[in-house]
Amino acid sequence: MLKRKYFLWFIPALVLCLVLPFSASGQEKVIKIGGLYPMTGRAGLYGLDSVDAAEMAIEEINGKGGVNGYKLEFTNTDSKAKPDYSVMVAKRYVTQDKVHFLFGVVSSAVGLAVTEVSKQNKKIFIGTDHASTQLTTDKLQPYYFRVSNNTFQSMAAGALYLKELQKTKPWKTIAYIGPDYAYGHDQWDELKFNLTRFGVEFKAVGEYWPKLFAPDYTAFITSIINDKPDILVAGFWGGDTVAFIKQAQPYDLFKKILYFHPDAGGNYELMAAMGTDLPEGLVLSARHHNNWPETELNRDYVNKFFKRTGRYPTYAAEGAYAGIYAIAEAVNKVGNPDDTDALLKAFEGMKIKLPEDPDDFTSYIDPKSHQIVQVQAIGVTERNDKFPPAKLMLGQWKVYKAEDLLPPPDYIEQLKKK
Amino acid sequence: MDLSFFIMQFLSGLTMATLLFLVASGLTLIFGVGKVFNFAHGSFYMIGAYLAYQAVSVWHANFWISVLIAALGAGVFGMFAEATFLRRIYGRAEEGGFQILLTYSFILVIDDLVKLIWGTEYKSLPRPLGFGGAVNIGGLTIPAYNLAIIAIGLVIVILAWLILSRTRSGRVARAAALDREMLGSLGINVPLTMTLVFGIATAMGGFAGALAAPLRSVSPGAGIEVIIDSLIVVVIGGMGNFWGAWLGALILGEVNAFAVSTVPDWASLFNYLVMVLTLIFKPEGLFASREIRKV
Repeated sequence: MLKRKYFLWFIPALVLCLVLPFSASGQEKVIKIGGLYPMTGRAGLYGLDSVDAAEMAIEEINGKGGVNGYKLEFTNTDSKAKPDYSVMVAKRYVTQDKVHFLFGVVSSAVGLAVTEVSKQNKKIFIGTDHASTQLTTDKLQPYYFRVSNNTFQSMAAGALYLKELQKTKPWKTIAYIGPDYAYGHDQWDELKFNLTRFGVEFKAVGEYWPKLFAPDYTAFITSIINDKPDILVAGFWGGDTVAFIKQAQPYDLFKKILYFHPDAGGNYELMAAMGTDLPEGLVLSARHHNNWPETELNRDYVNKFFKRTGRYPTYAAEGAYAGIYAIAEAVNKVGNPDDTDALLKAFEGMKIKLPEDPDDFTSYIDPKSHQIVQVQAIGVTERNDKFPPAKLMLGQWKVYKAEDLLPPPDYIEQLKKK
Repeated sequence: MDLSFFIMQFLSGLTMATLLFLVASGLTLIFGVGKVFNFAHGSFYMIGAYLAYQAVSVWHANFWISVLIAALGAGVFGMFAEATFLRRIYGRAEEGGFQILLTYSFILVIDDLVKLIWGTEYKSLPRPLGFGGAVNIGGLTIPAYNLAIIAIGLVIVILAWLILSRTRSGRVARAAALDREMLGSLGINVPLTMTLVFGIATAMGGFAGALAAPLRSVSPGAGIEVIIDSLIVVVIGGMGNFWGAWLGALILGEVNAFAVSTVPDWASLFNYLVMVLTLIFKPEGLFASREIRKV
């Protein structure tokens, strides 16, 4: 009997324990952000870095009291880098979890799929890492904004670099190798377009399309060497860059041909993975660099990330960090995260100072394309052991003005016609 | 195409073929003897690559000893997986479907294990001492390590031939491939034989992963990228046929090398084209025996 009495008390106590935390958080005003980063497979590092950086930004903002009385709340679901699965998660975020913002993603294929969910549900989608130009040109929809550079911007900067190079080191022929899907093909098309736009004379002597994540590049390397180009442009990302460079090294490819990789080649992961095996003199860039610009904001960001995770960030992290700050800025301006129309206006033209901005420039979101406009720095690999385990980092920087890197209207029209 | 370039492309194809063969031979061995399609074979390749990284970069062991540690580690892990999980589904009516599901789940579990132990960052292994550069033969620059891989591949082929045809263990393995029940009635411990064969096959996967590590990047998910090409090799050569795997790898490696240099826009297509043509004109594989064809 005594046991039964205790048991009867136990049930309401248990219910209270379960309900109280929710009712407490229910009273707190929250900005819900649904992340779609991959946590597994080859893109897992990008996802992990992005989630860490997003959480770091949220802790910083919430630590200062939040935004207009709202706390930021971030949830990530492993997107597995698969479009179909990501669409399912995005729909769940919108219908069940009632998030205010969709957030991510690494793969452009996933980005193109999630932007449709965003459009149909009128839910704002902040793109932080994927680089396909399509999302901010022919596939642009009103509820999408991107806070990192796209491949067109990287390739425009690349074309300007090659134009300058022709004056000091005359080159004529160029070859390209990149993964055989939209990301790889877009880069080559955009580079050729920009070289022509900037009046650079060149002759393409080879185009190579290995599969994404191909383990073996030997046959491509010997074929490229046989083509004898002055410049080899690469459009790989992640481990593919590491594998290609390792396999090309004993053939002395980097002594015979200038290796140029302006979109993702300068990502810190390459320097961290290869240590002293990375050749000097490669010309690379990425959407964020740990050692450029040498501003207080960038130093703070990189050091905080290192302190938090025990590793230095890849460029994907800064995109996520920027995305959270952009959301905070928009909500701060509007006053709440529910007025979508007002938020759209707040994002359009938003100026936001980010770690990758040099002192004399502030990133802004182009109101027409919803694409963030940023400068791009291209560097050359050289000895620098300040960011271990990397033994080489980029230096000898060349910086390109943000306004010169945007796609011109005729290019956007060309894409739309396609 | 001049002769020197032809030789360079041929050697490029041979390097790719050797690494493909080392992975595919384990896959085909498991299928031939145990009738198990080990979808997770690429994951044992990945375990080998990570163990080699661990031995070289963390324990500072000699590279070649690390390769042996990697093969041994992958083999022991493979035997554990076979004895603990796969053995439970042998002989079931739904065994085929269960094999795919179970070995696919191995891929997910092994990927997460690797992530937990080594993190998501890309790992890279330097080439072993003395194999960092290139050898100049008749004006051709050939990476020393690529030559070493080709030589090791040839040694493995000869060793495997000797073991399979000249030793009692080899004969038992071949007999198990033909009739497992009969072998049991002759007093051979069939479950133990299966576990050992699985161990040898996964050790070969680990061995290939360790050998490939200085040429490739080591990361979670690295096993998936090799399993597709290995499967094509096994289909071309004949499921379960060791020599077929060697011939299939050679064909695939060389077709890829010359397609890249002559029709680069369509190079990827040719690998699949070889497989499709094989499936149409000789669906049992190029090396399948007449008896198997009859069955």
